Amino acid sequence: MRTFLAIAVCKLGHFVGKLVGKGSSMPGKFALKICPDILRRVKLPAHIVAVTGSNGKTSTVEMIAAVLRADGKTVVYNEEGSNQIEGVATLVLTHATLGGTVNADVLLIESDERYAAHTFRFFHPTEFVITNLYRDQLTRNGHPEWVYDSILPALHPSAELILNADDPLSSCFAQGHDHVKWFGLDRCSVSTDAPAGVYHDGTYCPLCHAPMEYDYVHYNHIGAYRCTKCGHRKPAADYAVTAVDLEDASVTVDGSVRIALAFRSIYNIYNILAAYAACRECGVSQETAASVLSNYLLKNGRMQTFRLGAHHGTLLTSKHENSIAYDTNLRYIAASEQDCAVLVIVDAVSRKYFTSETSWLWDIDFDQLRAPHVKRVVLAGRYCNDLAERFSYTELENWSVQPDIAAAASELKNNGDEELFVVTCFSDRDKILSRVEKEA
Amino acid sequence: MDVRIIHFYPDLMNLYGSRANVLALKRYLEHLDCDVTVEPVLPGGGTDISKGDFFYMGAGTERAARAAMEDFARYAGQLKAAAQDNAAMLFAGTAMDLIGKTVQEADGSSYEGLGLASFTTEHGKRRIVGDVYGHTDLYPEAVVGFMNKCGAAAGVETPLLTALDLGFGNEKERGPEGFHWKNVFASQLTGPLLVKNPKLLETVAAAIYARRGKPLPVDRPLDRWAEKAYTVTEEQLRLRAHSK
Repeated sequence: MRTFLAIAVCKLGHFVGKLVGKGSSMPGKFALKICPDILRRVKLPAHIVAVTGSNGKTSTVEMIAAVLRADGKTVVYNEEGSNQIEGVATLVLTHATLGGTVNADVLLIESDERYAAHTFRFFHPTEFVITNLYRDQLTRNGHPEWVYDSILPALHPSAELILNADDPLSSCFAQGHDHVKWFGLDRCSVSTDAPAGVYHDGTYCPLCHAPMEYDYVHYNHIGAYRCTKCGHRKPAADYAVTAVDLEDASVTVDGSVRIALAFRSIYNIYNILAAYAACRECGVSQETAASVLSNYLLKNGRMQTFRLGAHHGTLLTSKHENSIAYDTNLRYIAASEQDCAVLVIVDAVSRKYFTSETSWLWDIDFDQLRAPHVKRVVLAGRYCNDLAERFSYTELENWSVQPDIAAAASELKNNGDEELFVVTCFSDRDKILSRVEKEA
Repeated sequence: MDVRIIHFYPDLMNLYGSRANVLALKRYLEHLDCDVTVEPVLPGGGTDISKGDFFYMGAGTERAARAAMEDFARYAGQLKAAAQDNAAMLFAGTAMDLIGKTVQEADGSSYEGLGLASFTTEHGKRRIVGDVYGHTDLYPEAVVGFMNKCGAAAGVETPLLTALDLGFGNEKERGPEGFHWKNVFASQLTGPLLVKNPKLLETVAAAIYARRGKPLPVDRPLDRWAEKAYTVTEEQLRLRAHSK
């Protein structure tokens, strides 16, 4: 009876919430109050795929859903992005019958990395994808090893882990785990010889803290690592990108499957590969996975093109407090080779909580913008002075400060016609998008 | 004046932008016409403590800090003597734990610190994160920063921040924070605290000069971006502190 009541309340709450445009976690919260172990009581699909990690969760989940659906599978997933237990409860219960059965082939869950153990207390994923683990929202998360320890109890011994072979830290989840599949990038055209970035604790072995050596690197400390002391090293990948052709905008998977890239970033490549691996493990054929992932345009709005005066612009959403997200977007700008201006906005550090913490700016390698085609950089927002202070320690000279975002947009609109890249976070992007003409 | 900064474990102990403290101090001293050398010390490497004017270690993860301590222990005698002799030092974030007597980890295991100070640190399973707004006896301006730790330091008799209006101190909410003795500065405040607090940067520079028997020059550099950033953050955190 409690099961029935909890599901009914959740469905009703969800219906009402939709009418008034309210959040997606409240109905689940009510249901969990009525029946705390409701998620144990419902009958779930045979495949429960979870995705967690510091970066790429939302994109990877979206692509997995698209592939599975193209393969004819019914998929229930948290498109609304509520990735803690209340949101997951809303998702599961609104898709359950009043008798408590979720009629779908796959339940697909983007899970917050800090709360995964809590979310998966009453049921556990059959396939668990962990994209990567590195510095992200340290104001909330502490540090990557702290997050690692938080995720560990969420990994049920029977779950198949789908892990990033190139990430020294998240690859440690395989220790003592029987079922592991690996995805990774072989040495390819985007590889470099040494770790990049302005901090290097990621290049120390997460198991014994001795320095590691690298055969090649794809970004920051992600690549083919090898501990000089304990032997921790990149494992052989079950699903590998074997070649990257950025001119052709394509990658080759497992030596034979070509996937075209809608967006030529290293992140996109890893996200595609993680999605590919997860879908293959769910029984999707190479051909179906590759054809859906080819030229897949993400709908989550992380990239937005627009016009501002004579400028064509691209918003590169980079999470504040996530230096690697910034680094990969700066790398994208550096590689673009067309004359451009860059607008960096730090106004609200987080959209979810108050903080004045800006130490993460010191983890970003802004010197990547030292390229002849980057004509000028404008720093804007409440924390523009912190940005300016950070920039004063770079080799860059062509930067200026405009605290007011509207004024910065207006000055750019009235001056120049070069490509414009805007680098900012979800918390601040609407402050610029509301002042430009968005492209479809 | 020649100044030698000895930076312990710049890779391993560099969470939350800790390296910026060295960059800021170096630039400040250079603007005072000092000839500054920064010597990084790696685990298994070595350094001559007697040649250092300023010793620094930044924050690391709890595991990284323990790994660092295995190497750092060998400098205990020399660093304690240098501290007694008024050498300037700054230990930020988890590096502060390492100058105490012992560190007890969340799993119950423990290890010895440098023993430069008599406090002990106990790590727990709760992460203490949040903005900090506090006061020091060293100068009138407020100190701003961010706390990101999982432990409490017990037995500090001479804190760096005597009172907090916002944030968690050594042992309790709004309690005293950090450690200060002679020219040894330590704080659990993470990241670039010398960048965020121009006055603290000046205080540390003055400590380096004092050991050489010199006052800080009257004509001092003013970092306008750092000053403006401080003004914004100080206002934000003061309003936050007083609204609670």
